[in-house]
Amino acid sequence: MRRLPLLLTTVALCGTLAAFGALGREGPAPAPEPGGDRRDAGTAAAGAPDGGALGRSIAADQRRLRGTPQDAEGWARLGAEYVERARLTADPSYYPRADEALARSLELRPADNVDALTALGALANARHLFAEARDFAERAIGLAPLHWQAYAVLADARTQLGDDTGATEAVQDLLDRHPGTASFTRAAYELEQHGRADEARQALQQALDSSYDPADRAFCRHQIAELDQDSGRPEQALTGYRQALADDPSFTPALAGRARAQAALGDTDAAVADYTAAVARVPLPQHLLELGELQESLGHRAAAEEQYRLLTAEQQLAAANGVLDDLTLGRFQADHGDPAQAVTLLRGEWERRRSVLVADALAWALHRQGKDQEALPLAEQAGSHGWRNALFAYHRGEIERALGQPDAAREHLAEALRLDPHFSPLLAPQARSALAALGGTS
Amino acid sequence: MNPVLGRARSKSTLRTAAAMAAMGLALATSALAGPGAGVGAASSHREAPLIAADPQVDNTDVYAFTSPDQQDSVTLVANWLPFQEPNGGPNFYPWADGAHYDINIDSQGTGKPDITYRWTFHTEDQRGTNTFLYNNGPVNNLTDPTLLFRQYYTLQELRSGCEPKTLVEHGTAAPSDTGKASMPDYGRLRGQATVQLPGGGQTVATQAADPFFLDLRVFDLLYGGNLTETGQNTLAGYNVNTLSIQIPKSRLAWKGDATRNPVIGVWSSTEKRTMKLSPGKEEPTGKYVQVSRLGNPLVNEVVVPAGLKDAFNALPPSEDHNQPAVVAKVLDPEVPKLVQAIYGLPAPATPRTDLQEIFLTGIAKATGGPFQVDLNSQLMNQDIDPRRFVPAEELRLNMSTPVSAAPNRLGILAGDFQGFPNGRRLTDDVVDIALQVMEGATPGNLIGALAAGDGVNQADRPFSASFPYVALPYAKAVNQAG
Repeated sequence: MRRLPLLLTTVALCGTLAAFGALGREGPAPAPEPGGDRRDAGTAAAGAPDGGALGRSIAADQRRLRGTPQDAEGWARLGAEYVERARLTADPSYYPRADEALARSLELRPADNVDALTALGALANARHLFAEARDFAERAIGLAPLHWQAYAVLADARTQLGDDTGATEAVQDLLDRHPGTASFTRAAYELEQHGRADEARQALQQALDSSYDPADRAFCRHQIAELDQDSGRPEQALTGYRQALADDPSFTPALAGRARAQAALGDTDAAVADYTAAVARVPLPQHLLELGELQESLGHRAAAEEQYRLLTAEQQLAAANGVLDDLTLGRFQADHGDPAQAVTLLRGEWERRRSVLVADALAWALHRQGKDQEALPLAEQAGSHGWRNALFAYHRGEIERALGQPDAAREHLAEALRLDPHFSPLLAPQARSALAALGGTS
Repeated sequence: MNPVLGRARSKSTLRTAAAMAAMGLALATSALAGPGAGVGAASSHREAPLIAADPQVDNTDVYAFTSPDQQDSVTLVANWLPFQEPNGGPNFYPWADGAHYDINIDSQGTGKPDITYRWTFHTEDQRGTNTFLYNNGPVNNLTDPTLLFRQYYTLQELRSGCEPKTLVEHGTAAPSDTGKASMPDYGRLRGQATVQLPGGGQTVATQAADPFFLDLRVFDLLYGGNLTETGQNTLAGYNVNTLSIQIPKSRLAWKGDATRNPVIGVWSSTEKRTMKLSPGKEEPTGKYVQVSRLGNPLVNEVVVPAGLKDAFNALPPSEDHNQPAVVAKVLDPEVPKLVQAIYGLPAPATPRTDLQEIFLTGIAKATGGPFQVDLNSQLMNQDIDPRRFVPAEELRLNMSTPVSAAPNRLGILAGDFQGFPNGRRLTDDVVDIALQVMEGATPGNLIGALAAGDGVNQADRPFSASFPYVALPYAKAVNQAG
């Protein structure tokens, strides 16, 4: 029963969007200020291309808060909506806006402000400040043990902090309080990380059945396609990414996913075109990297280098908005920059959190630096939860090969190719030749 | 130029420019490693939806009234999935498969259901991959093959201590109205979807014009706004999904005796099945979890404090009295303080035991509350054990109250004792009633300064005179001119 938020959405439906649409101005929605009509124009402009229901809610909340700026709940909701918006658009400039809205909410209601605390936790997660996110979630849960969103924030934080048992508990707590899109998608990630891909798929199907908004449906279909892609089923994945785009054409990750599937199927022209369209919309580091590596694999060095330069710039932009993503930067540096710097970045990250993703990335950076003895235990740790991840397996296999452990290396290189023969346009061929050199078959 | 594409394109240009500017500051670290490098595609951090709305399982309004044309029966109406825009396009608003859509009856005053009517839907989607349309030709009958998307339901009656009884095995839900050309006579489809029940009564699952009427700006009052800009029904034009059931009073009353035990408490709720991460346990797929509930209108919006709304939605009414923050808000509500600040109208003295009686116990002498009348508390039922009675947020109906010949939108405040908060009829103006009641109005003593209320006194569409009473769905886009 969420009549009020829905009511608020309706205010936007009932009459103002058309007027604002005419005043289109670029840029994301600004924090609302009482009486700032010019700012409304920006709201509508940002809301239209990819906003959907969320864009309408944001516009409605901004309008309302101008009339009733004392509404602590409204500011908390707007802050949460900005975080969600940043997730969908990958535009980090929403984070400072979220900060501002949530600070005002807390100012208006300093005690027992569960909604603001939960949204601050979500914001901290989005900025990769996972310990902070965990603390916000725990405070919210302390005040309101049935506030299900706080368990989602807690689950995300614990997962990324490497608190595996705690993460599983938080996801189950979330499932037991609110079965729905937010909980089933998190259950799927949890199951996938533990090597239970079939159950992860079922969970995503349940998430899809539960979701209503096109953006949420696209997310679920996209994740199902990712599972297919990561399991070496690019045809099915391609269909899935297409379905995701049919649900929500503005869901950029599915465009990049379609590119990845097309590349796996050998249609590299279409793949480059889709990736290019995706990064033109949102220059997400992940997609810039994938495009760069695809171009590199095709021998287009200059084009690849261009993507890597943009990626570095995007990282700076994210950092300027309070996002600390040393994991992605470290991975990039390990392969395309300075492995020593990668190791420094990733050691710092490993001090902050013991996630399997960081274990794998640090292991690989160490390998790139020639420190395979130190790398191996980390690579083993990356696999300790059972995640069937082709990249993890490949990294481990190469480390074992460097250490002169041919049996183990053969096993893991073969595993990488068995899980997904197309796991990377650059690395999959590497894995094949390494395996051949060891006398193994994939 | 397509304005959407135009905006998207220039937005990306802007962002690329910003990235370039930032790059100037970046250290030149991207010397390319040789071939063979590659980070691969494992994303570093998966961000899943957090505030995903789930309106398919959101309870919005509940109505309970003696059927005016069938006075030995009560009609219960519960709505889900509000704000359906009948955009003229092929919009379909399905029920969620597998969820439990419940209407609950508490006839003993324990806060626990003595009876639950439970609808469970499943979908038959014959669209295949050739079309996204829900029908590929006019639909004149529910069985027409042109209707490609159908939902069926099972209706069960659950009585505590008894085996579930299936009342409807394979009911058909009336589809969403996809427009005049597709569905020339929606009323006919709704009629075909209406099922007679064994033991008397009938039910239908259908789309309907949202019977709730109000000016949403009334909620601005909660945050320091005022009522000067009201008077427009902001729900006009939107549809909802409706479950409606007409049941003989004797089947609803405790011990089957509506004379000795005429009062029932009613609320709707929705349950969804969760899942278990650890397999091999006795419940491999997980239990059903309540995700939403609704009894009295406006309680979740106006009374339940922020941060407790999830708890309120998750708990049964039997737990309400264990939520001290909720009870405290009933006894000391915000609205009168705000009205005092804006209009100078003095707020009634607290604690508001009158509101506790209206929302949590029902009105009866035996509740020990301020109203010295017997109206609608289960404590009036002669065959219950009063020691098991607990305060609980329910819509309470005295089934023995005679049907008013001329219903008044202000219900009992205007001396029409068949109206809200004694049950709720489709025509009851619950926003104005709630506002008056919050300010301490009693039957015959309205607060003059707030007489206009939200300025919306009735729904746009007239209700039907017979079951299911709700109006047929709107078929024209809300924002369409004309």
